[in-house]
Amino acid sequence: MVQDAFSGYHPAVNFLYFLMVLLASMLFMHPVPLCIGLVSAIVYSVMLSGWRALRFSLVFVLPMILVVTLVNPLFSHQGKSVLFYLWENPVTVESCVYGVVTAVMFVTVIVWFSCYNVVMTSDKFIYLFGRTVPSLSLILSMCMRFVPRFKAQVRTIATAQKCIGQDVGTGNVRQRMRHGIRILSVLVSWTLENAIETADSMRARGYGLSGRTHYALYHFGARDKVTLVVLFALSAVVFAGFFGGELSMQYFPVIEGKAFTAFSALAFTSFLALCLTPIAIDVADALRWRMLRKKDISDGKNRMENDGAD
Amino acid sequence: MSWRKWLGILVVAVLVPGTLIFGAVVVQDRRAYLSSFLVIVYAMVPFFLHFEKRRPKARELVMIAVLSSLAVVGRMAFFMLPQVKPITAIVIIAGVCFGAETGFLTGAVSALVSNFFFGQGAWTPWQMFCWGLIGFLAGIIFHHSRLRKSRIALCVYGGLSTLLLFGGIMNFSSVLLMNGKLSWPVIVATYAAGIPFDLMHAASTAVFMLLLARPMQEKLERVQVKYGLMDS
Repeated sequence: MVQDAFSGYHPAVNFLYFLMVLLASMLFMHPVPLCIGLVSAIVYSVMLSGWRALRFSLVFVLPMILVVTLVNPLFSHQGKSVLFYLWENPVTVESCVYGVVTAVMFVTVIVWFSCYNVVMTSDKFIYLFGRTVPSLSLILSMCMRFVPRFKAQVRTIATAQKCIGQDVGTGNVRQRMRHGIRILSVLVSWTLENAIETADSMRARGYGLSGRTHYALYHFGARDKVTLVVLFALSAVVFAGFFGGELSMQYFPVIEGKAFTAFSALAFTSFLALCLTPIAIDVADALRWRMLRKKDISDGKNRMENDGAD
Repeated sequence: MSWRKWLGILVVAVLVPGTLIFGAVVVQDRRAYLSSFLVIVYAMVPFFLHFEKRRPKARELVMIAVLSSLAVVGRMAFFMLPQVKPITAIVIIAGVCFGAETGFLTGAVSALVSNFFFGQGAWTPWQMFCWGLIGFLAGIIFHHSRLRKSRIALCVYGGLSTLLLFGGIMNFSSVLLMNGKLSWPVIVATYAAGIPFDLMHAASTAVFMLLLARPMQEKLERVQVKYGLMDS
C-alpha cells in the first residue's frame, strides 16, 4: 500500500478520470479494452486499499459473476457453434463467451467503483457540485454531519431508556419492538427540534445573503491542468475509436472482431494510458520521494563526516 | 415559471429522443444501458434545478437534510437484515407531509448519502431516481388528500410502490448493466430472481409504514404548525 498521490489532485481531475474509465468500462465489449480495464482497475484497487479489500469485494460479487456467466448461455441460444443441447435447447460457444465477457465487464465496473469510493470522498464530491447546486450540496454536507450525530444520539437515547427498564434487548418480541419504536420516536422529536434551531442559527448568521464564500482546500495547479489536458486528449482518442466502430466486436452469430488497424491500435494504447494514469502518478511520486530521501540521507552523512573532519 | 417549462420541453422533446437516437445509431454494443442511464439522469435535473432556482430557505434545507439522514440512519440500523430498508417508508412520509418536491428531494438525497456510507456504484443514479419518484408520487397522491390520514392506504402505497416502482426499475437497471443484448427470457429471469428480494423490501416497507406513519406524521405536522414550515 502506497500513499495515493492521485487523490491529492484536484477533485475535478479525480472525478473526470473516473467518469471516463467508468463510461468506457460500461460501454466497451471488446476483449482488449476489457482486459486493460480489468487489470488496471485491480492494480489500482490493490494500491489503494490492499489485497484484503479486493478479496472482500470479490467474495461479495462472485455469486453475481457466476449468475451472469451462466445466465447468458442458458437463456440466449444465438450463435452458430453449438456445444451441446440442454433440455433440448442449444448451448452455444458464442453465448458462453458473451457470458464471460459480460461478467468481466461487470467485475471491472465494480472494482473501478471501489477505487472511486476511496478517492472521491464525500467532501470532494460536495466541493465539486457546491457551485452549480449550492443548496443541494449544503443539504449533502449537512447529511454527512447529521448521520454520525444521529447515530450517537440513538446510543444516548437507548442507554437512557435502558435505565428506566425499556431496553431493546429484553422482553418478548412485542415489547422489544415497542421499545425500539420508542427510541425512534424520541430521536425524531429531538432531531426535528434540533433542525429548526440549526436553521434559525443559520439564518441569524446570514445564510442566503449575497456574497457567500466557500471554504475549500483544493487548488487547481499546473499539474492538474496538465493531467486534465492529457485525460481529455486520451479520452477523445478512445471515444473517437469507439464511436468510429474500431472497438466494436461482434459476438453473434459468430465471434468476429474488426481488423486490427493503426487507428484501433492507437485507441487501445490511449485507453491503456488513460487507465494507468493514476498508477503512473503514484509510482512517479513514490520514486521521487525515494530519491529525495536518499539524497537527504547521503547529504546528512556527508555533513556528519565533514563535521567529524573538523 | 416559464424557464422551467422550457427546460421541461427541452428535456422531453430534444434531449431524451436525441439520446435514444444517438444510442441507437452511434453506440453499437451497449446502447440500451447508455441511453437509459442518461435518460434517468436527465429526468432528475429539472427537479434539482427548480429547487436551486427558487432559493429555498434554511429551514427547508435543514428539514430535507434531517429526513434524509433519518432514513440513512434507519438503513444502517437494519443493515444486518437484507432488504429491510426504512428509507422507502421515511421518503413516503416526507412526501405525504411536505409535498411532492420535498418527497422527491428526500428520496434522491437519501439514496446518494446512504451510498456515501455503503459505497457508490452504478446503481446510485437509479436508486436516487426510484426513491425520488416514490416520494414525489406520495406527495402528489396524499399531500392534499384525505387519504393521508388512512394508515391502510399508506401501507398499500408503500408496499406497491416498493414492489412495482423500486423493484421494477432497479431490476431493469440490473438487466441492462449485466446484459448487452436484451431478450425476453433474460428479462423474465432477472425479474424472477429479484422477486424474493422485492417482496421482502415491499413487506418491510409496509410494516414500517404501519408502525411509523402515524407517529412520524404527527411529529412532522406538529413542527410544521409550530414553526410555520413549508406551508404551500
